[in-house]
Amino acid sequence: MSHAASEAVSTDAMLVSAIRAGDQSAMAQLYDKYSGIVYSVALRVLGDTGAAEDILQEVFMQLWRNPDGFDATRGSLPGWLAVIARNRAIDSLRKRRPEDEISDVVVRVEPDLLQEVEWKRSLEKIRGAMGGMSAPQRSALEMSFFQGLTHQEIAEKTGEPLGTIKTRIRAGLLVLRKACQR
Amino acid sequence: MSVHEQFAEDLALYALGTLQGQERAAIETHLKGCADCRAELERLGGDVALLAFSVSGPRPPARSKARLMAAVASEPRKVPIREVKPLRSSWRTWFSVFESAGAVAVVVMVLLLVRQNRELNRQLAEARSGSAVQQEQLQRAKELVASLISPDAVRYTLVAAKTLPQPQGKALYVAKTGTLVFLASNMPALPPQKTYELWLIPTSGSPIPAGLFRANAQGSAAIVRPQLPVGVEAKTFAITVEPESGSAAPTTQPIMVGRQG
Repeated sequence: MSHAASEAVSTDAMLVSAIRAGDQSAMAQLYDKYSGIVYSVALRVLGDTGAAEDILQEVFMQLWRNPDGFDATRGSLPGWLAVIARNRAIDSLRKRRPEDEISDVVVRVEPDLLQEVEWKRSLEKIRGAMGGMSAPQRSALEMSFFQGLTHQEIAEKTGEPLGTIKTRIRAGLLVLRKACQR
Repeated sequence: MSVHEQFAEDLALYALGTLQGQERAAIETHLKGCADCRAELERLGGDVALLAFSVSGPRPPARSKARLMAAVASEPRKVPIREVKPLRSSWRTWFSVFESAGAVAVVVMVLLLVRQNRELNRQLAEARSGSAVQQEQLQRAKELVASLISPDAVRYTLVAAKTLPQPQGKALYVAKTGTLVFLASNMPALPPQKTYELWLIPTSGSPIPAGLFRANAQGSAAIVRPQLPVGVEAKTFAITVEPESGSAAPTTQPIMVGRQG
């Protein structure tokens, strides 16, 4: 981990510690940093700006109420927020109760990716890797993540064999991993 | 990496949260005994986050930040709400001798007192070092324990208007120190974006928020020492269902109200 990346991670951890102590300005700082990704994920899942705003509010209020739900030693904050947002949005889409405890969600992300200087380049790598996938592979990944569909549901929609869908999803995730390790 | 190949694809689906049924059960069983697959699952969790980062979209409207900060300001830092954890199986048999939720609630209360006493002992040792801050913490801990076991402590039992499935709340409240311990059982599940809110109903004046809670899978929840003003005499306690961020004043009719006893 580079020094700058280490600082990026520790800054998030410090802000979460400040939130734990009731510091509202720390909450505002984290909102400014990560509301964009949380809102974008919720909007992509729900396709409705009002509903996406509700998820945005819910995710950050969960952080305010239970900052201990995020363990800085076990994962990255933006990844954690984005995955919580996706899970809550899928729950909302399917009108079901939240299935996971927020403290159960652990998201490790390559620390250098969190360095602000690297952030834009990393996003380009991720989006480039997505763009470089075959349309069926990208579609399978997106249906699984943004629509919360099971591989059986994707197979029914696409008419592809179950095994093919499974293989595409795993291979797609590995492509993203490899793109960020370069 | 030596991930078991027969589980490799299902691990990816599990990381995405879309694996269901027998396949999900099988992989959860395997994960319990396979550190390599647990490590790979953690890496896949990071890959899933990368998928989230692939999204580009508009920034949220400015009103969203104002809404959030207003909700944060209306909900100052509260003592974290700790749900009552499910009892380990080895304890279940022992606890089955208790026939009422009230008995279990009393046991939980005792456990809280024991934990508080340990904290008191730890703080006592530290306080001997002469730190004024530690002395103050020690005093607060002593007051808490004294309050909880004080004969002045008044118990409130909250019961549902509709008796099935008999949700129940027990509040132990000491007005002169503003100390409250609240335990709930058999609470029905709430829809998303809703929460239970406990209210202290004073003998005069408006209801005072006394904590938000959601029940766990067993319908249990606890609120320990929420921030409350000192010296407020309680007429009773009540529970309403509120929006997820809580309310400064009740917005719905109480679903449970208290009586002393």
